[in-house]
Amino acid sequence: MKAKLRRLLSWEGLLLAILVLVAAVNANLAPAYVSLNNQINLFQLSIEKIIVALVMTFIIINGEIDLSVASVMGLAACIVAVLFDRGVPMEWAIVVALLAGVLCGAFNGFWVAYVGLPSLAVTLAGMIGFRGVARILIEDRSIGGFPAWFTALGQQPLIGPFPFSLILFALLFTLALIVLQYSGVGRLVYVIGHNAAVARYSGIDVPRLKLGLFIASGLVAALAGVLLAARLGAVRGNTADGFELDIITMVLLGGVSIFGGTGNLAGVGLSILVILNLRNGMSLLNVTGNVQTGVVGMLLILSVLLPNLAQMARERWQRRAVQRKEVQTGVETSVSS
Amino acid sequence: MQGAPVLEMRDISRRFGSTQALAGVSLRLYPGEVHALLGENGAGKSTLIKIMTGVHQPDSGQILLDGRPVRIGSTLEAQRLGIAAIYQEPLMYPDLNVAENIFIAHAGRGPLVDWGKMYREAEAILAQLDVRLDVRQPARGLSVAAQQTVEIAKALSLQVRVLIMDEPTAALSAHEVEQLFAIVRRLRAQGVAILFISHRLEEVFDIADRITVFRDGRLISSAPRADVTVEQAIRDMAGRSVEQLFPRRHTVRDEVLVQVRDLGRQGAFHGVSFDVRAGEVLGFAGLVGARRTDVGLALFGIAPADQGTITIAGQPVRITNPRQAMRHGIAYVSEDRRGLGLSLPMSIAANITLPTLRRYLNPLGLLRRPAETDTAEEFRRRLAIRAPSVEVEVGKLSGGNQQKVMLSKWLNTRPRLLILDEPTRGIDVGAKAEVHQMIDDLAAEGIAIILISSDLPEVLAMSDRVLVMREGRQMAVFTRHEATQERVLAAAMGQRDAA
Repeated sequence: MKAKLRRLLSWEGLLLAILVLVAAVNANLAPAYVSLNNQINLFQLSIEKIIVALVMTFIIINGEIDLSVASVMGLAACIVAVLFDRGVPMEWAIVVALLAGVLCGAFNGFWVAYVGLPSLAVTLAGMIGFRGVARILIEDRSIGGFPAWFTALGQQPLIGPFPFSLILFALLFTLALIVLQYSGVGRLVYVIGHNAAVARYSGIDVPRLKLGLFIASGLVAALAGVLLAARLGAVRGNTADGFELDIITMVLLGGVSIFGGTGNLAGVGLSILVILNLRNGMSLLNVTGNVQTGVVGMLLILSVLLPNLAQMARERWQRRAVQRKEVQTGVETSVSS
Repeated sequence: MQGAPVLEMRDISRRFGSTQALAGVSLRLYPGEVHALLGENGAGKSTLIKIMTGVHQPDSGQILLDGRPVRIGSTLEAQRLGIAAIYQEPLMYPDLNVAENIFIAHAGRGPLVDWGKMYREAEAILAQLDVRLDVRQPARGLSVAAQQTVEIAKALSLQVRVLIMDEPTAALSAHEVEQLFAIVRRLRAQGVAILFISHRLEEVFDIADRITVFRDGRLISSAPRADVTVEQAIRDMAGRSVEQLFPRRHTVRDEVLVQVRDLGRQGAFHGVSFDVRAGEVLGFAGLVGARRTDVGLALFGIAPADQGTITIAGQPVRITNPRQAMRHGIAYVSEDRRGLGLSLPMSIAANITLPTLRRYLNPLGLLRRPAETDTAEEFRRRLAIRAPSVEVEVGKLSGGNQQKVMLSKWLNTRPRLLILDEPTRGIDVGAKAEVHQMIDDLAAEGIAIILISSDLPEVLAMSDRVLVMREGRQMAVFTRHEATQERVLAAAMGQRDAA
């Protein structure tokens, strides 16, 4: 009974309740909401962000952050566009863009894992630097006119009504879930995120794992950037600008602690659904983009605030309980020499 | 200068869990007197200081200041009463300058700071100590000795009457110690009562007017310096009661497993040489700051040695990270269970398999949970870990059971050399006996064991040989028969064969 109650009160339970509420309100106010087309469309509009949110989940659970993902997306999109513009076959342009993503990730990972600089600072530099490279490459142009098969990646139904990007997301989500919850690497992501010293004292190669995560982050962000170029059909210097905040919001709202060590993909999956459905509902009701952003921002503040407040309340309650016990038995819990 | 005591501790007792840290201790501090406090680790010195400075409250007993009973509820109250403490590592605000650090406790007198006045007063106090220091210099970059001077100046700015100095010389050079002692003598002349704690006997006998020895939370002796000899002091500190007979069934084998020669790491320790045989327990004894843990960390590759050689089973090896150490069959069980040893939110099973995770992965890299559970269950039975299941979070276990999980984790790496760092610290008597039994069993299986412990009776009872360290240097290696508490303590305090 108690366990059941706790489960309902868990973060995932809360998100699920919000999701049901949002869906119910949406369905009532806008009949178009329930159509399959709208549901697919709702995913498609943010598909690149939610793909990157998957790998961001790993990074934040590991106790780090990657602020450079949106710039890597933009850089990858620009590389694809500029190379295509210069007559390089699209397939090769994509390969080069993905390699650039790997390099960006390796750059971040090197400074964080092997030099020990804080990822907040390193990836902030990456965010500015990679965006700068993208702008230098593309200058003030807007490059489009991509081959039809390429633009189809983001839009055209591939299997049934589902486009390639959505199927890719489903596959990546499954893969990420298996790796994080059922593999040795996933176990280490949690252990290091909670206390890297324990991992080090257990003979685990902490820097290698961190480097691997940042490289994965760069690669996936580049892939998402390529998909974004395909869906938009044109690329500019500011493509994907500011996406990192939406991506980090999805992860934190999913119950992943900004301090690392806790959280899971079920929560992040739910939080993605909540955000997408909320935005979709507001769009259907003609709420402006600025207000939408405000609402999501409020959600984020709550998601960071609520667990901390709950934690504080719990600690205070426990301290009181200990104090009561002490008064009764005259014994203290701490030991010193 | 005798007369009435400034501070009197009367019949003070304090208990932590099952440990009686202080039992009916009485102590008087007189103005203009340097009172030295001696005792092994855990003798109760720190607890007494913490009670004097308001960090802890006594369970019973009285504190009198100028003959009037007082209650010291916090360090702030202690400061207000004129009781201050300085420590081995001073607590500075590195970005504030010297004057700001001196007057930090005066903050809150008003919204504005009279900078000119503050600098003048800071200079005056430092002049009183006959110390040259730029008061506008930031504390960052000051030497430890200079930082201690700032701490003393800070105490003086608060009209200190009782100054507690806890191991103030541990990080100082010989010249700096002399300067510090000059300041101490000046303070004494000004009528400050000084409680001086040090593990360096020469210093104690150099500066103290009165020497008091603690052991097992009790005051053993207290006499004017002239009436005490070094031998007498060491005898009083030793002689801790051995609570129970330890089991000893293991026998040392002939095969030398690990040979260490002139091992050292810059700034930590140097010139450490020893052999460990299969089935042998080599004890590492020493006081706080002896750098025994650093030797363990060098062997395990966390803080690799930069001098000397390590030979394992006849092969010279270089160990620069923990994975290499593990490959050579070395396991290190940390003294800091919660900070370095265990992943607290993880299950017992996940903690036990952490160093050997690769064994529990299938070819796709996925965890083989049943195999993991089997291993964990095996250790739960073998080491009698008391938990309802191996899926329980380690953070929810008692200290003794956490210790057993840590041992399981490292036994599962099948080590040849097991380094145990304070394996019984902070666990209850029952669990302690179980750990001792386990150490004996492991040695009987032929595992070589290095036992680092600050519990002297434990080291003496468990070890086949005892290596004594002091401030990063190897002082002596005693056989089981040579190793008496007096001899080990004398070596640990830098007295060669005093007993």
